[in-house]
Amino acid sequence: MTDCPSVAQRTLLFQTCGYWWVSALFLLTGLALAQQVDQGAQALALHPGAAIYRKMCADCHGLQGEGVRDKHEDPLVGSRSVAGLARLIAKTMPEGKEGTCVGADADAVAAYIYDAFYSPVAQARIRPVQESLSRLTVAQYQNSVADLIGRFTPGFDTPPKEDRGLRTVFTGFAIPTPEEIEEKKAAEADPIKRKELQKKPRRPEKLERVDPVVAVHLGAESPAPAKMIAEEFQGRWFGSVIAPDTGMYEFVLKSENGVRLFVNGTKDPLIDAWVSKGSEVREERKSIFLLSGRSYRVLIEMLKYKDKSASLEFWWKKPHGVLEMVPQSNLVPQEVRPSVVVGTVIPADDRSDGYERGTSLSKEWDQSMTTAALEVASAVELDLDNLAGTKAGAPERLEKLKAFAKRFAETAFRRPLSAEEEGWVIERNFQKAPTPSVAVKRVVLFTLKSAEFLYPEVSRAEMRDDFLVASRLALALWDSIPDAALSKAASEGKLHTKEQVQKEARRMLSDPRTKAKLRGFFQVWLDLERADHASKDAKEFPDFDETLRADLRQSLFLFLDEVVWSEASDFRRLLTGEHVWLNKRLGKVYGEKIESDGFEKVVPVHGQSAGLLTHPYLLSALAYNRTTSPIHRGVFLSRSIVGVQLKNPSVAVAFEDAKFDPHLTMREKVSSLTKSVSCAGCHGVINPLGFTLEHFDAIGRFRTQENQKLVDSVVDFESDEGARVHFEGPLDVARHAAGSKQAHREFVRHFFHYCIKQPPAAFGGGALDDLTEGFASSGFSVRNLLVEIALEKALSGTEAAVQKVALQSPQSVPTSTPPHP
Amino acid sequence: MNVMHRRQFMRQLGVSAASLPFLSCLPSLTGAPEARRRQRVVIMFSPNGTLPGEFWPDQEGEDFQFKSILEPLEPFKKSTLLLKGVYNRIVGDGDQHMRGMSCLLTASKLLPGNIMGGGGQPAGWAGSISIDQELKRFLQSRPETRTRFGSMEFGVAVPNRSDPWTRMSYLGANQPVAPVDDPYQMFAKMYGQVKDRDSLLSILDDVKEDLRKVSGKLSAWDKQMLEQHVSLVRKMEQELSAPLDQAIEHVMPPPDSGIELINDNTPKISRVQIDLLVNALANDMTRVATLQYMRSVGQAQFRWLGIEEGHHSLSHDPDDNKESFAKLQKINQWFAGEFAYMAQRLSQLPEPGGQGSMLDNTLLIWTNELGKGNSHTHENIPMVLVGGGAGLKMGRSLRFDKAPHNRLWLSLAQVMGHSELTTFGQPDLCVDGPLPLG
Repeated sequence: MTDCPSVAQRTLLFQTCGYWWVSALFLLTGLALAQQVDQGAQALALHPGAAIYRKMCADCHGLQGEGVRDKHEDPLVGSRSVAGLARLIAKTMPEGKEGTCVGADADAVAAYIYDAFYSPVAQARIRPVQESLSRLTVAQYQNSVADLIGRFTPGFDTPPKEDRGLRTVFTGFAIPTPEEIEEKKAAEADPIKRKELQKKPRRPEKLERVDPVVAVHLGAESPAPAKMIAEEFQGRWFGSVIAPDTGMYEFVLKSENGVRLFVNGTKDPLIDAWVSKGSEVREERKSIFLLSGRSYRVLIEMLKYKDKSASLEFWWKKPHGVLEMVPQSNLVPQEVRPSVVVGTVIPADDRSDGYERGTSLSKEWDQSMTTAALEVASAVELDLDNLAGTKAGAPERLEKLKAFAKRFAETAFRRPLSAEEEGWVIERNFQKAPTPSVAVKRVVLFTLKSAEFLYPEVSRAEMRDDFLVASRLALALWDSIPDAALSKAASEGKLHTKEQVQKEARRMLSDPRTKAKLRGFFQVWLDLERADHASKDAKEFPDFDETLRADLRQSLFLFLDEVVWSEASDFRRLLTGEHVWLNKRLGKVYGEKIESDGFEKVVPVHGQSAGLLTHPYLLSALAYNRTTSPIHRGVFLSRSIVGVQLKNPSVAVAFEDAKFDPHLTMREKVSSLTKSVSCAGCHGVINPLGFTLEHFDAIGRFRTQENQKLVDSVVDFESDEGARVHFEGPLDVARHAAGSKQAHREFVRHFFHYCIKQPPAAFGGGALDDLTEGFASSGFSVRNLLVEIALEKALSGTEAAVQKVALQSPQSVPTSTPPHP
Repeated sequence: MNVMHRRQFMRQLGVSAASLPFLSCLPSLTGAPEARRRQRVVIMFSPNGTLPGEFWPDQEGEDFQFKSILEPLEPFKKSTLLLKGVYNRIVGDGDQHMRGMSCLLTASKLLPGNIMGGGGQPAGWAGSISIDQELKRFLQSRPETRTRFGSMEFGVAVPNRSDPWTRMSYLGANQPVAPVDDPYQMFAKMYGQVKDRDSLLSILDDVKEDLRKVSGKLSAWDKQMLEQHVSLVRKMEQELSAPLDQAIEHVMPPPDSGIELINDNTPKISRVQIDLLVNALANDMTRVATLQYMRSVGQAQFRWLGIEEGHHSLSHDPDDNKESFAKLQKINQWFAGEFAYMAQRLSQLPEPGGQGSMLDNTLLIWTNELGKGNSHTHENIPMVLVGGGAGLKMGRSLRFDKAPHNRLWLSLAQVMGHSELTTFGQPDLCVDGPLPLG
């Protein structure tokens, strides 16, 4: 657990929307909107529920549900249905006089507050949420810079082909033929002949192959004992390595020979141990920061010269991983062109809205942007002639450098420069600077610090629709700038209709950058940071170590990738998939027999598996170090799976295992801890959901007993729609969520936040519902949803969007789309 | 093209900075001692609570014995003041760790927010300025105490994430200050950017103009963000112009370029950061500094002490788990050792243009977000004070009865000359005034 145990004590009443306080910052502007609200307010004021609300509720909640200081401060906003609200009111309201507002009264109040201010649609009407101006997030900055410089090394982003492994080339000398030996022998007596023979070049020998992993143990032999001599040879491994996650990668070469490792370039070795130091196998290790989803050229060199033996192994420790041999799945025999990875540490983005977004500035951030700009400018300076396609002293060099500077700025601005800008940004610097390369450096520094680069939407007024759409698509799908193909489509005016944009988005889907982005989503949605640090009691769970955790992480991503990148890409399979990926090590711990050396798809014998819900990586994160934690699990299921937004509790009660009768089951302890009426609001939702997972212990192993008692995972759950649902176990929860509109909508919301970094309501009060409907009608395709979300943002305010709106029925036209500045 | 490795980049920056003529070993240009002596304060943080029985002395007053954890401080016993009974009484949103951390230096409630604590008690950032930043504000407001940076925030092995468990310094409500845990970055901040000063200065005007130009077309709210950005650029311009006037008295060689920022290098990083911190104080770049080890709920693995388990997991183990207890003892002792190292470095340097050693003019404070790891209590928050910066009578072990930590920060403000401050953080917890530290 990365945080300490505690449960809420205060009653859960109404749910808060994550974007409430953001929206509260915006003031209503525009006469038309004001009138709309006026008319709406008049109609609502006559609602029968309004009178009851004013009499019985407004004292504590405020006339507009805005909250009252020192009474009930939280605004009445949320995502419950009218029926759900009515039940809650009848049961729990007014506080201290429960039972006085029931039946038709409760229904009337619920209907009134729902339309007046509670529902997201009402909120969008009262306070239209607008997009906040955003700077690039950390990931967006890192990816944009890589792709910006990459634009000048075409082919750097070509996706790797299917084959895996590294291309291996051994070079050495041929074993002398009997004639050559004879010749040598004969020459020994004759100094002149001996000298002649020494001058004669030795016959080279070469061996080429593809190695699935780099692990050679030759002993005293040569790699081709029948052909190549063992005394002296070199080995080289060519290709690329795929980095699954963003972070520090530690690479390790184990060898007793001379070795070198180059990662992402061949000028400076990352590891340089070319001089061997005796016959002991050494471990040479160095770390490098890499961006997720990209491939980086690797070159490993090995030299054996008179060493007694030869061996080499290539290992790594990737982020969230353990030291392991670099697996075949991450090695590619093709060499990609190097890219620029900004190494400057940029302060983490603000997550106080529940997702990372670029809406806050700090001095540290500005400083890191400067350091990063200097870092990139230095990298450009070092390689300038190459990038600009010229060389020192070439007659057209000045023009080439100017052209480079202009293209650099245009790529970063995601649009062509105006004539005025060209004069200001390019020409002026070339006139002022002492040399053309200093001018380029200044253009690079300025561009990377410019508002146009750092705030992608800041100059949308100057951007033709096509460029705006391209910029937004690239950010939504890749967290980056458009690639060459997308820019080309924009400059040719081919991003003008929804169909064109859709086609482009579908092309972009298969790019590794999209895969990286989706991977990042799962990291956030499932709060994997917590799982990455879960540790367990070593006596109780001796097998649960770093290695097992890394295996579990891989197992989870195998499952996620399999589902999301399958043809159907069905969200529901994420919940209800009955299998789990296990390797031998995991099989041993989780009681399944695994035959092969890799991961296998297994349907566990207990038959209780429910996709993500029962994946041991998540279950072990949502547990204490010895025992399960139904509360953590229940909160996770509520928020992330079933889609119930829990309100912020204000007082904490710590769960202290030692304070309970040790004979009790966890279910009994949690029930007793949360039995008071004031807990029931939240825990009426949390506990039943959490209890359904009680068949899985603190590391997610299936069990039938706890404390010599049979595990009870059967619960009754009251859904928002008011139905009492009977759950026998996690699979029932999964099926419920798979079929629940509320769950779908919350998933869409999470996904939208992550992809666009703005609240969906900024794109119209109906945006979220429209997307959710589209999600359902696509058979819950996650990939399709990604495209639709990207389109929602990309087309917003463009001509294509106007066409789209015109084609739809009037009801689904968002009434409060904010006017663009 | 070759990728620019960060280490290399920093190395280049470092070397070139050190080779600049103005960085050579110049004697103090300030000449005569200042009218009022320099006073400095450094707050060091280590996470996850302590082991009270191995931390607090059994005795009160001047005649006391250090317990095992504080043994590394033995050489500085006469300069040490131990304050038992300081209580972080801030309640409200956030779990104990969150409030322990983000209310530690602010002494006021967390703002509501969406950052989830254990079992779901979300909170946001701290709601007010932290004491280090308050002192900075005060010292920077007077010409005689103004320094180039005003405050510096050092980190060691702080995970690169931004949440209330990871930040203790605040400029104000919702404005966390990120500690810099990369010595190369810190070095570059102190000495490095000079190399690119001219390039930068030549474009900063353009950057400002560009920001102004685009902000003309934006809504009032969006404009505000860009205005903030412009002021950051302006600040940077000022800082870039400033250092050239300053005489550097103790040149710091660039840190060894081979240290990677990984868990197992923490001991090395810690020492480099302390050296940089001491150097920054010696050169009067700042008089206020924080040094944050890891973060609250941090899972650092103290492998250099032979400890594989994450720190936070260990801190949850019950007292009778002898193995874990011994490990926590070792961990806390290690922190004490780093604290003592800082004191030692300062004690070896004569006060520039003043009397005694630098330690005689510096107050070091070592604290924690919890009193005890496995109970998550906010009572008896570790407070170890070392050095003569406050002008207090040291060499004592004091006890208080659940004194709100607001009062301690008030005392700190007072001894630093900031006597107009009558409340700090949550006002109702300040009614009894500053803690009597005598």
